[in-house]
Amino acid sequence: MVEGILFVLMAVTALAGAVTVVVARNPVYSAMGLLGTLFSVAVLYVAQLAHFVAAVQVIVYAGAVMTLFLFVIMFIGVDTSDDRDERLPMQRFWVGILAGVIVLLAAGITLSGNFDWVPAAVETIPEATNGTIQAIAEPLFTDWVLAFEATALLLTISAAGAIALAHFKGQRT
Amino acid sequence: MITPPEVSWIAIAPDLILALGAAVVLLVEVQWKPAARVLGLVTAFSLVLAVGATLLQKLAVEDAMLAADPERLVAFSGMILMDGFAVFSRFALLGATVLGVLTGWRYIEGLGRRGAEALALIMLATVGFSIMVASNNLVMMFLGLEVGSIALYVLAGMSRERPESDEAAIKYFLLGSFASAFFVYGVALIYAGTGKLAILDIRAFFDQFIVTSPTVIYIGIGLVIAGLGFKVSAAPFHSWAPDVYQGAPAGVVGYMAAVAKIAGFAAMARILLTALGDLDSIWLPIVAALAALSMFVGSTLALVQGDVRRMLAYSGVAHAGFIMTGVVGGETQGILFYLAVYAVQLLGAFAVVVAVSGASGARSSIDDYRGLARRSPGLAGSFTVLLLGMAGLPLTSGFIAKFGVFTDAWNSGYEWLVVVAVLASVIAFAFYLRIIVAMYMDEAEEEAPALVPTVRWVVGLAVVATIAWGIFPGSLLDLAANALAL
Repeated sequence: MVEGILFVLMAVTALAGAVTVVVARNPVYSAMGLLGTLFSVAVLYVAQLAHFVAAVQVIVYAGAVMTLFLFVIMFIGVDTSDDRDERLPMQRFWVGILAGVIVLLAAGITLSGNFDWVPAAVETIPEATNGTIQAIAEPLFTDWVLAFEATALLLTISAAGAIALAHFKGQRT
Repeated sequence: MITPPEVSWIAIAPDLILALGAAVVLLVEVQWKPAARVLGLVTAFSLVLAVGATLLQKLAVEDAMLAADPERLVAFSGMILMDGFAVFSRFALLGATVLGVLTGWRYIEGLGRRGAEALALIMLATVGFSIMVASNNLVMMFLGLEVGSIALYVLAGMSRERPESDEAAIKYFLLGSFASAFFVYGVALIYAGTGKLAILDIRAFFDQFIVTSPTVIYIGIGLVIAGLGFKVSAAPFHSWAPDVYQGAPAGVVGYMAAVAKIAGFAAMARILLTALGDLDSIWLPIVAALAALSMFVGSTLALVQGDVRRMLAYSGVAHAGFIMTGVVGGETQGILFYLAVYAVQLLGAFAVVVAVSGASGARSSIDDYRGLARRSPGLAGSFTVLLLGMAGLPLTSGFIAKFGVFTDAWNSGYEWLVVVAVLASVIAFAFYLRIIVAMYMDEAEEEAPALVPTVRWVVGLAVVATIAWGIFPGSLLDLAANALAL
């Protein structure tokens, strides 16, 4: 029951945030809307017992990424008279159709209650709830240690790549 | 009590050496600001060591096969495979890296202080793709793909003085990220359907069970094929290729295209042939359709290009189709042989482009090649051999490669695809011939291009390889035949 109420509350705030992102004229409001969505989804993760994902969502997305977004928006300057032309013909119409199809599909699946087409979902329900962070940390540093180290390469590449692209001092033609 | 991770140094030795080499290049550059030559030597040394480590891997694989103990080749708790397939692909990747660095050397030197980053990015891209071809786990494969791809996005934008380079980088980055998302979504759906991430486990799963409602897995397969199809520039996911080939600095384009194709097709072969081999009734028609489309679109659009680099891009689309014909054929020998042969020809062709049109410029119009035979006969002759090799003329390696994949596809019952492939080869022949005609029939207008020694070596090596593998393909064919996936 509590989970149901929580879900409805958080789903509504997540959707409201998402709508704000698209509708708001001021990019700062858009960023704030995104923040609301990210937080609401984090709460939904907690309800699914995925504590680690929730923590990462708050720290990385709501924390670091959003700070970066706001920083960039403030840095460039808030200008509400941006070019907002919609270049594709009937853009809104097709997006509306697509969104409608997705909503209908999701509703249909939920109402029919038939989840057999995800066979693995039945087998892999997390059995332990005593701290999923520990449950993630242990395989991360044993079985998945190589994958973990490979992500370190990604960070090296992004640092080297940023320098390579930004350190250019010559003349542009 | 946590059990320590299962570490096998030999299984990742080439990757480790190259990653350390990249770190050394970056740190030495910061501390001592040495001449580019020093950094180049560090890179060359790392590459030589990595090739040596791969040779050791090959010996280890042969040992394990003789001892009939393939379990020995599964490393890092089933994350990495050190099988013949991975070793062959690694050799191809390292070879492409060596040729790529040599081709782009003058360009990298000219980048000044940013040259260190370019060298490090090239080495790290090779590490990523080398992890990708050796991975036994779809998440590991995705990480390798991203490590390699992100390094390539940056390399595409290295020529900051030209807006085309920025455009190429941003286009490659956006479309590439989109394709990576496709791939990872497909992996997630395959996991949702099977509950397995390791490639050997997925194969065992399909050997054991019959899935009653496999829709999720089918969608997953489609998304994985789309994601990898982008990386290897197969139609209809090829729209980035011409702009990137043209905009990115010519010195590194050959390398970028070659390693992306090798790794993309190695991953495709591993996923489709090994993991999903039992579901081939599902993916064979998709791959065959993409192959036919790629060959047709690539060959016809290449006909109308006025720029040699755009033409090579579309020819790359057609070649992606030919290699996919090999995937339909289902034999790793044909695929690996084709990849090795094509990578060498591609790098050689781009070395010629670097020699004729410059290593950093954006334009390489076919007009630059008019009368090349009079200005510099050696270069024109080499380019002719390479183009004929790509076209698949007999007595060149391209013919053996095409013959191999066509035979495999024919034997697996896809006769119509072989007919399409042969027709596409004929169309493709026309645009290769167009450049040759321009080089030999037209009057010279400009001075002979100045050849950098490293570029000369690459062109020479590529020509020798194209002819040698065309007349005596036995040794490479044997190597490819022994490069079996577990």
